[in-house]
Amino acid sequence: MAIASSTPQSSASPAPARGQSVNARILRLAWRSPEMKVASALFFALCLLTLLGPFIIDASATKISVADKFLPPVFMEGGRLPYFLGTDQLGRDLLLRSLVGLRNAFLIGVVSVVLMFVLGCAIGIFSGYRGGWTDVILMRITDVQMSIPVIILAITILGMSRPNPFTIVAVLVLSGWPIYARVARSVTLAERQKEYVRAARIIGASDLRIMVRHIAPSILPPIAFVAVLDVARMMIFEAIFGFIGIGIQPPTPTFGTIISGGTQYLLNAWWITIVPGCLLALSLGSLNLIGGVLEKSRNLVLQGAA
Amino acid sequence: MAFALEFFLRRISQGVLIVLAVAFVIFTLLRIAPGDPIRIILGPMATPSAMEETAERLGLRDPIPMQFLRYLGDIAKGDFGNSFIRGKQGGTTGGSQDAAGSPPVERAPVIELIAKALPYTLLLAACGFLLACLVSIPLGIMAGVKNSGWPQKVALYLSSLLVSLPNVWVGIVLIYLLSARTGWLPAIGYQHIGYVIIPAIVVAVELAPVMIRSISVAVATNVQDPFYEIGQVRGLSARTMLFRHVLRNAAVPLLNSFGAQMIGMLLGGLFVVEYIFSFPGIGLLTINAVFQRDFPVIQTVAIFASTVLVFINIAVDFASTTIDRRLKF
Amino acid sequence: MTINRREFMKATALGVAALSLPSLASRAAAASGPLIFAAAGTVTSSWDPTSHTVAPQITAEGFLFGHLTKCPMSEANPGEILPDLATEWSVIDEHTLEYKLRQGVTFHDGKPFTAADVKATYEYASNPDRPASAWYPGRVDVDVVDDYTVRLNTKQYGYPALNFWYVSSFLPILSAADVANPDTLKQKPNGTGPFKYVETVGDQIKFAAFDKFHEGKPAIEEIVWAYVPDANTRVLGLLNGQYHLTERLEPEQYLSLQKEAGLKTDRSLSSENKYLHFRCNKPPFDDPRIRLAVCHAIDRTQVLAVVAEAGQASNCHVSPVKFGFADVKGYPEYDPAKTQALLAEAGFPNGQGLPEIEYITSVGFYPKTREYGELITAMLQEQGFPVKLTTLEPAAWEEQLYRRADGQGPGHIIDVGWITGSPEPDLVLRPNYHSTFALINGISDPQIDQSLDKERGATSTEERLKILQEETLPLIAGKAPSISLFSSVFLRAMSAKLDGVKFYPNGPIDLSKATLS
Repeated sequence: MAIASSTPQSSASPAPARGQSVNARILRLAWRSPEMKVASALFFALCLLTLLGPFIIDASATKISVADKFLPPVFMEGGRLPYFLGTDQLGRDLLLRSLVGLRNAFLIGVVSVVLMFVLGCAIGIFSGYRGGWTDVILMRITDVQMSIPVIILAITILGMSRPNPFTIVAVLVLSGWPIYARVARSVTLAERQKEYVRAARIIGASDLRIMVRHIAPSILPPIAFVAVLDVARMMIFEAIFGFIGIGIQPPTPTFGTIISGGTQYLLNAWWITIVPGCLLALSLGSLNLIGGVLEKSRNLVLQGAA
Repeated sequence: MAFALEFFLRRISQGVLIVLAVAFVIFTLLRIAPGDPIRIILGPMATPSAMEETAERLGLRDPIPMQFLRYLGDIAKGDFGNSFIRGKQGGTTGGSQDAAGSPPVERAPVIELIAKALPYTLLLAACGFLLACLVSIPLGIMAGVKNSGWPQKVALYLSSLLVSLPNVWVGIVLIYLLSARTGWLPAIGYQHIGYVIIPAIVVAVELAPVMIRSISVAVATNVQDPFYEIGQVRGLSARTMLFRHVLRNAAVPLLNSFGAQMIGMLLGGLFVVEYIFSFPGIGLLTINAVFQRDFPVIQTVAIFASTVLVFINIAVDFASTTIDRRLKF
Repeated sequence: MTINRREFMKATALGVAALSLPSLASRAAAASGPLIFAAAGTVTSSWDPTSHTVAPQITAEGFLFGHLTKCPMSEANPGEILPDLATEWSVIDEHTLEYKLRQGVTFHDGKPFTAADVKATYEYASNPDRPASAWYPGRVDVDVVDDYTVRLNTKQYGYPALNFWYVSSFLPILSAADVANPDTLKQKPNGTGPFKYVETVGDQIKFAAFDKFHEGKPAIEEIVWAYVPDANTRVLGLLNGQYHLTERLEPEQYLSLQKEAGLKTDRSLSSENKYLHFRCNKPPFDDPRIRLAVCHAIDRTQVLAVVAEAGQASNCHVSPVKFGFADVKGYPEYDPAKTQALLAEAGFPNGQGLPEIEYITSVGFYPKTREYGELITAMLQEQGFPVKLTTLEPAAWEEQLYRRADGQGPGHIIDVGWITGSPEPDLVLRPNYHSTFALINGISDPQIDQSLDKERGATSTEERLKILQEETLPLIAGKAPSISLFSSVFLRAMSAKLDGVKFYPNGPIDLSKATLS
């Protein structure tokens, strides 16, 4: 037992070590670009605002106060504190509502991407490593899954039952995993032929062990960098679902429901629709920039290393 | 020729299997979801016995696989069923309280509903795609040829900006700015070709960032390729190289990404955009069908959408092999 | 007599108008095309007026069908009755009403209108098998005296015929030939109204002016009923000239459209009250204490502040334009302390132990339903009710609205408006609170039934008013099978080119004298 557990580690150590150094290089390279610094600062500021907002702003995201409805943002005539960005049709603070919406959207985005990443990569690695019929069947399943547009799948599932955060995450994961499975599989196919995997197999490590301890650590981080972009995409989907009315149900604020609720008042109170959209675009922009820079650095480093 | 024949036979048979699987998934999902279609067909006042009788007659109490097989049989005969909600003329009808009110045969055939909506969707898709091409092809090529300078920066920032804008929001903002506030363009519904402009812009905003990126990446990899320098050494102008060789080679990865990603995105985008603008296409039909629990419409649209996706992928793969003979399948 | 004279004058005036109008009308039509009405609702799959209790279809029937009488239903004079297909009416005895019918009226299919049509219509519509029979006080026999005189006879069924006094302005008159053939009834409506049904294309229904309309052919040649479920879309379409007329505006839309050049607005109290119905035949609302607890937890002044221009405060289960309306004593007011006391008494202190309560509402048809839905949800949650709000598209909501054959309806609280084109209060009370119907809430309470039968059986109008105001309405308020939140005020907007439109408080729009220049 002692031998079995120590040897793979010693033989495996080059791989994670190499992986770590690659990851570190990617991160270092990414951090050098000014875009990364700006985007991270912006994103960090938004996170801070989301966390602290409810404590420093003397208003409420859910408390209805009809007397204060349709207040414009403070920089406009008629606006007043503490409603920095105005109030909505029921007198709730728009900034706080947007921040709660942002928090919910971000949580849904992150959770669903993590889950689709784990599920997709697990299936991909398994499929690529096993090969044969397993591979054929699993890949045909991804074909099927990828042949249903996300929106159709979502409106079918969410439109039929009362949507809640779990079903929304489930739908997003269901539609997102095949891409990760495809990528993980193709990388695994290449990785399977490499020295360290063959060595581990000769030593007698189990397939599961090889997949989890050897292949996964070396192939996953580069995929994970690109997953940041998917968090932004999932947040957009969450907003779309809310807009169509198949997202998280009111009174919980989400971007989609705030925007769709505000469209009726576009002519008299445009800020209800425009303000949360700007905030969403700002946070998505920073996420996309971070993701974009990470992807670019990864490509540069991997091409340089190859 | 033999190659093409074998290719098509293999891929189409696979494609048919995929579409069947998709159809089965959607068919099952709809039937296990809460909400009894019989209730919708007969209206809220129907008696339990009348409901049971109709359900039996329509075969809705049989096991799902059996229902599915029968459904496939009908499809093979060209019958995609009748809508639960829409009358013969295609309009929405409210829930009838009359148990004997409206037998399903009086409802509109799904295929007619789709045939009516499809031209609008195609028009919107074509306009949106064209608009996206107008922006992203020149910008993508310029950004790809030179790995520095302003085209690259513009491409990067523009695509980062556009990709961060949710289409629902862009749609509303454009309605507000271009239609409600200024009255420049019509926005809601469809009366004439002018109604396509704003929705098409929204579709283009969604497609453009992806197109800019894939075009610039595809062009850039070719420009870095040795053949580009060799060509220039041989005295071919940069212009000739770009248009005769680089773009031709870049077309393969482009087609691939367009096939898989773009059509899926375009479909999803069209659905949402049609909903925002009440544009009478397939997307609006489907979203309303979901809200009204109109199963036959949802099923048929899902089958059509996945068929389109699958066959476009086949076409793209085939086109790739004819452009670049090195690829084999 | 007075009726006859007034009617005569009106007819002469119309005759003159009719002579001069056709040339004008055809030019106007050529210049402007059809009148496009952006409607918030749509019709059911059957054109049979006895097959539904759906408000938008009643509005559509307003174009197509005539009634024996007309009720303008003004707040000042809710009981006023004007002639339509009947020219005179009188009470013969407790169980008999007599109507003299107008001569020379034809149906859209060319058949002349006679007493046989009235007989067929009344006997068919009051048949308890018909889904809309809940509107009517009970079965009725119609005796044909001659071709143009009928007597409504309720002797066999044991209630006073006076109950049809106001209902006669609400029941659309069908052709006897159609009643004999229900398929025609369902597919092709055939009335005596100013417009005939042409066809339905997609979500649009087309009507054309009926050239033999007894008050003269309408100037507007064609009406297109465009079903536009989204309130925002309706307004944008009106702004860019796509629609000429729209209904059920949101208050903010009404205010901003008032400032628009080229548009006119109209604001009038309707015969509609907005209700939250409790599903009374399943827990937790099978316990009247829980229903009252909910009523006391709702601050209706706040709801009204949200609804603003589109609502008017009222403490009664019928609208102020209805016979019997009163500021009901003991109508549940906002009182959280009472809510808590009632909850504790029912065994759910602070709402602990209550099952999850689903509150279903529609979005896009009635103004502000989503907004006050969120508001009421918040108010109820504050008192400890585990409420979740479900917002549905109108067609899906309508499918959920009525309780089903098994007696149950989905959800626990459902938002609905109830609107009828007659001052008759029983059109609201019987369908909703009498256990034989209780279409939505499923209440089955012997005391309410008894009280409803008692007021129906009253032999004089004064006696009936007294029973309604002092017994029936307070009883319903106390048992709270539903709560009436407020009375609706209809907000409409139309193109400034449209003149001469008359709106009825229950939705129908009289375009028979309107012009579109």
